[in-house]
Amino acid sequence: MLIEASHLKLSLAGRHILHDVSLHLQAGEIYGLLGPNGVGKSTTIAVLLGLYSADAGLLSLFGETDKQNAKEQRRRIGVMPEHAGFYDWMTANDYLKWYAGFYGGLQRPVPELLEQVGLADTKNQPIGQFSRGMQQRLGLARALLHGPELLILDEPTNGLDPRGRREIHNLLLNLAHEHQVGILLCTHLLDDVDRLCSKIGIINQGRTVLEGSLSELLNQQQIGRHFRLHMEVPAEDQTPLPSGVSLVAQEGNWWHFVVNAENQNSFSTLWQDMLKAGWKFSEIHEEGGGLEELYLRLTTEANKPDRKVA
Amino acid sequence: MNTLSLITQKERAGLLQNQRGLAWLLAYSAVLSAFTLLLISNKELSLLDNAQVVYMMAGTVTAAGTMIAVILGADAFAGERERGTLVPLLTAPITADQLLMGKALGLLSAWGVMYVLALPYLWAVGVGGQNLMQAIIYLALFGTPVVLGFGYLAMALSARTGSVMTSLLTSLIILLFSASPLLIGQGLRNSVIGKALDMVNPFSGALNTFDAVIIDSDPFSSQISRLILVIVWLVITFIAARLSARRPVFR
Repeated sequence: MLIEASHLKLSLAGRHILHDVSLHLQAGEIYGLLGPNGVGKSTTIAVLLGLYSADAGLLSLFGETDKQNAKEQRRRIGVMPEHAGFYDWMTANDYLKWYAGFYGGLQRPVPELLEQVGLADTKNQPIGQFSRGMQQRLGLARALLHGPELLILDEPTNGLDPRGRREIHNLLLNLAHEHQVGILLCTHLLDDVDRLCSKIGIINQGRTVLEGSLSELLNQQQIGRHFRLHMEVPAEDQTPLPSGVSLVAQEGNWWHFVVNAENQNSFSTLWQDMLKAGWKFSEIHEEGGGLEELYLRLTTEANKPDRKVA
Repeated sequence: MNTLSLITQKERAGLLQNQRGLAWLLAYSAVLSAFTLLLISNKELSLLDNAQVVYMMAGTVTAAGTMIAVILGADAFAGERERGTLVPLLTAPITADQLLMGKALGLLSAWGVMYVLALPYLWAVGVGGQNLMQAIIYLALFGTPVVLGFGYLAMALSARTGSVMTSLLTSLIILLFSASPLLIGQGLRNSVIGKALDMVNPFSGALNTFDAVIIDSDPFSSQISRLILVIVWLVITFIAARLSARRPVFR
């Protein structure tokens, strides 16, 4: 287990920030840490990074609970903070070489590292001339330069264009699946979580209200995904629906369906099954549900105190 | 390169190897040039004697050094925080002591450059007179701990408050308060309160030493109590900075 945090509590300046936060991350997993603004996500990350000491609870990184070893543990962690700050007067090349010095030097040449995050040909450009998106990419390069086993990323795709986001997604998926890097992703972009994360934790009011694998949680919470399909020919009453799909409403040619959690791993197969069964539709629109509904449900029920682990 | 060297290298480069650094060095040289011209013209008119002029130049360099130390110290942690560069440092395998010492060495580099730049000006105003060499030696011996001490004080406030403005203003007020005995008349300085302030004030300690060794040609042995004062000041501010740097405000 890369991170094992259980029942963390923290007060700052007499104010309770974390009441009961738990988080468990294994190698090769991408963990989405979700929650509304100001509920303790960044504070949780700060505790994991040793910037704050928890008042109570258990925190183990790489299987070690010894805080004396913090400096060595940091060598195994790559961090991308929410605000990827740099020295404007340095070039990307100089900065990465300088920062790598803290980890004993670069493991790969800077151009290769920059290429990996989509910043090829910028190594001699002063960072002050970088756009927000470029600085985000450079922040990721900084987090990766020492080949960490654990990546902690706070809003890594903020400020990136759709192509950039897709590239970063692919990079993170590759790191997790091919190199067994554990990734803790703190984001508000549910689309990122949906696409990347195998596990999520939702924090609300300083408590982990839910933690587990995404598919299990959707199942457990009985949350389906809503779709609107444009029917070319109205289906006959007897036309069967695949299991886990139910018709909930009709508005002219637009028919509304809910797909249960267990069917959410392969939508293409699902639509093909419906076509084979005799349903004739030309358009599919997703209407919500899934992770979004789960998130809204758990974060609007503000006083829900019980933690659930799937 | 080890961690300490990396931090010092960055501090030095940020300060001296860019346009901003060049600008402040030019400004510092311009101030010393103007002050030297003023002192030399007064010396030629016999309004000031040679030793008095050297003393004033040494005092000016110390004051400029403490001012720069306060500015750099205030920026050390809070400036990094405000630029978003503090968290990457705190999450790298760097200890709080290494970070603090690296920044202190960067500050000492700046003071070193200021000191070296001041030497030709000291020579220009003091050549042919008495105690020029004493001025150069005592400026290093007493100026360095006073400058570094004010730097540590500003660093402590910078780490503790997380705000450049707050730590800079507070440090400047303390610096102004320390320098105030020198601004009041000799009569007030000789009062009980004035003497008491002089006894605990490192800034006064350094300037009174310059006065004693440059103008009055006093021996080193008579300056030991003042040397202890500035070293105690350095130790106290170092401890404050060290404690604050362990838990700096980072958000």
